[in-house]
Amino acid sequence: MELEQDLVDFAVDYARRKGATYAEARFERQEQENFFLKNGVLDALYLGQDRGIGVKVLANGSLGFAATNTLTKPAVREIVDDSVRIAKGSRRKTPITFAQEESITANWSVPEEKKLADVPVEEKIQEIRELDKQLMALGFKIPARYFQLGDNRIVKYFGNSEGSRIHSYSPRLRIFYYLTVMQDGEAEQTHRNYGWSGGWEGVRAWDLTNRILEEAKSMDRSLREGKKSPEGKMDLVVGPQVSGIAAHESCGHPTEADRVLGREASQAGKSFISPDGLGMKIGSEHVNVCDDPTIEHAIAYYVTDDEGVRARRRYLYKEGRVNEFLQNRETASYFQTRSNGAARAVNYNVEAIVRMANTFVEPKDHSLEELLEGVRFGVYMKSFMEWNIDDKRYNAKYAGREAYFVENGVIKHPVRNTVIELTTPTFWSAVDAVGKDFEFEAGFCGKSDPGQALDASLGGPSMRLRNVYLR
Amino acid sequence: VEDIAARIVEKALQLGCQDAVADLVHNRSYQIRFAQNEPVISNRWREETASVFLVFDKRVVATDIKDLSNTDMAVERLVKIAKSSQRNPDYAGIAHGPFKYARTRPDPRILALEDGHKFVEAAIHGALEMGARETAGSFWRYEDEHFLRTSNGVEARDHRASLYLSIRALTSLESSGHGIACATKLSQFDPEKAGRKAGRIATLAKDPKPGKAGRYTVVLDPLIFGSFTDNAVGRLSAYAVLAGLSPYGKKIGKRVASEVVTIADDGAGDSISRKRFDAEGMPTRRHVLIQKGILKTYLHNTSTARRFKTRTTGNAGLIAPEPHAVFVKPGNWTKDEIFSEVKDGLWLTNTWYTRYQSYVNGDLSTIPRDGILHIRKGEVVEAWKDVRLTDNLIRVMKNVVALSDKTEQMMWWGEVSIPNHVPYALIKDVGITRSAE
Repeated sequence: MELEQDLVDFAVDYARRKGATYAEARFERQEQENFFLKNGVLDALYLGQDRGIGVKVLANGSLGFAATNTLTKPAVREIVDDSVRIAKGSRRKTPITFAQEESITANWSVPEEKKLADVPVEEKIQEIRELDKQLMALGFKIPARYFQLGDNRIVKYFGNSEGSRIHSYSPRLRIFYYLTVMQDGEAEQTHRNYGWSGGWEGVRAWDLTNRILEEAKSMDRSLREGKKSPEGKMDLVVGPQVSGIAAHESCGHPTEADRVLGREASQAGKSFISPDGLGMKIGSEHVNVCDDPTIEHAIAYYVTDDEGVRARRRYLYKEGRVNEFLQNRETASYFQTRSNGAARAVNYNVEAIVRMANTFVEPKDHSLEELLEGVRFGVYMKSFMEWNIDDKRYNAKYAGREAYFVENGVIKHPVRNTVIELTTPTFWSAVDAVGKDFEFEAGFCGKSDPGQALDASLGGPSMRLRNVYLR
Repeated sequence: VEDIAARIVEKALQLGCQDAVADLVHNRSYQIRFAQNEPVISNRWREETASVFLVFDKRVVATDIKDLSNTDMAVERLVKIAKSSQRNPDYAGIAHGPFKYARTRPDPRILALEDGHKFVEAAIHGALEMGARETAGSFWRYEDEHFLRTSNGVEARDHRASLYLSIRALTSLESSGHGIACATKLSQFDPEKAGRKAGRIATLAKDPKPGKAGRYTVVLDPLIFGSFTDNAVGRLSAYAVLAGLSPYGKKIGKRVASEVVTIADDGAGDSISRKRFDAEGMPTRRHVLIQKGILKTYLHNTSTARRFKTRTTGNAGLIAPEPHAVFVKPGNWTKDEIFSEVKDGLWLTNTWYTRYQSYVNGDLSTIPRDGILHIRKGEVVEAWKDVRLTDNLIRVMKNVVALSDKTEQMMWWGEVSIPNHVPYALIKDVGITRSAE
């Protein structure tokens, strides 16, 4: 690490000497193991051995970024020269500025009860093979089963020209799977994604076997007993998975300051919230949505962001109103505020931009039974399969995977392909009660060009929505 | 650098591997991102990566090595881990070389290009001139050089370079258009045209009204039709079929699109992802995947080809088969004829966020973005907003009535993941839904 540290420090100093008014450099090493199990066969094992240095500079009011994976002084000098030259050569007229932040010296790491590096490959393979075996033991027709188990150990060293020097270590674990259950030519499909910051103990914390078996049983039941979902205005209770995706898509994304300012307009889009939209009413007073990088074991846990700013909880929607944007130093300067530590990059070779971390609906006080008790006629949508939302984050769709008809507070038969297709204010304004249960799932959040698919958590409690149109 | 690739393969064989592939890649790409009509950041990469694929006793491992100073150690680690892994009974080897490859060279004027601002400014100028107020996008000068060695006699080299520009133009938050420019020759690169198209659509899309749900005849602009063909060809990877992530399972020889639809994958064709060989070293060539609506083949590497009792199509990726570049055979309608055929329908210009309720039957929805234009008697009468295309991949492709007689090369941020050469498409009976208030 001494070499990498010297190179980062050199890059920052050299960039300043070359005329950058601000410079930062980030060394990153990612060691990954990914196992692909398809229909019971281990297709392949992918080992990532990624590492390099990225340099971002501000010169003449413009940004330049360059990256290399050759860890020598001449190679680093070359990318500093590149970054300063392309920044100075930019034909930008409006100078970019950064919000003032304190310099930080820190060394943080995520503890691992059982280190990912110490777990033998055989044990990791056995974990997914066992899941597949138990699934097949159910005796259902499950013709397509795809599991991907992966871990990633991320070491970073960050330095900037304001004196920040930060070492960090983040071990992460993730599993996602697709299942296809069939019956009489009809198919039911699901995908799930769980993440963990920490060691191999995360596998036990997920309680995967039970989850997967229960999911397969519910898919089989949907095929056997599922009826057409009722259409019209009715009450809806959604489970944590649906709350989580709504928090991410209909709150987290539209409150990203760079999107609000149009920096992502050509890719991930803009936002229905305008730059002066703080305080805008979005939902009922029961709705609090947070983004918080500091939640232990959530996959997007971090202490300092990729601009060296300390992380903290952000209340994006508070009591149904837009409360705060996610900011990095560049956007915070525009809004004349401080960064709230939302700058993240997927690797050393891309710039850090405004990103969500662990986004969730804040739980309250209702049990699931209490939420359902209030429903005379409606649907309980526990999970979803298809989803999407427009690029200004106003029109969302969530199509049910596991869902049930509810009558007079009692769960009846499964219903298939229930569709919620609502505007963002309609969805959040209909929330009249929020549960005390809570679950996180993991996701890959996509943004930027080149694309950065980044670890994120999505979660929340169950919620009840009144009188919404379903089909 | 060629020596490093050879050394990796040699080391793997010394350690007992049966098959080994090493692809040394130099990335020298350069990018300018812009927003609010001016650059926001310029990016430059200088990276060397060895993509390595090894097989030890049918145990398959792959990696991307970034530390090229000690590849022996990396290979030793990889083989050690392979020994702890499990056999893949479906693994059937890699292609046997040596092969002859097409002689292709990148445009030296693209290689010499150091600054892309004039292209960014031309695109922005084109959009503003057509009435746009705001633009955003990316300019890319892609450049990478590959040195491939395999244990089956392949020694190959490929230097690739191209230009790309994507621009979104807006007249307001809800009125926008998108344009794309792609070229493998500097002389053919026309970012201003892309900007003008984006600006023109943004202007047509002014004052949008809430759309109405129903089933409509639609004209798909190349950018959104490219999303459908990209989806279709991606789902034709044999890997997707085997994983239950494709609606094309057991459909070889069956109708999966209308008679006017012929789709080929062609890594050797002129596109910004043109390549001389796949990850096994097989020369790329044209493969018709869907001919006059009938599914002819999936995309294969050597292993999936064996599984399906056929030959590789030269579409090997590091682990799974993948498409290179999509070429849709143009139709025999002019663009004007396509539009004039629409009595009461929609012209959709772009989309994003395509997601499936069921991969095995192809039920999906996708959200049109940028201009959603209501057409009556062949003319744009108003702009719409807030609608969703909710249908089925195969049904949409079966409902293609006509294709225009010219194709354009499209690629865009995830939704059109590789170059798709696509015409305008006239499609009947397409499902449109919208959000409830």
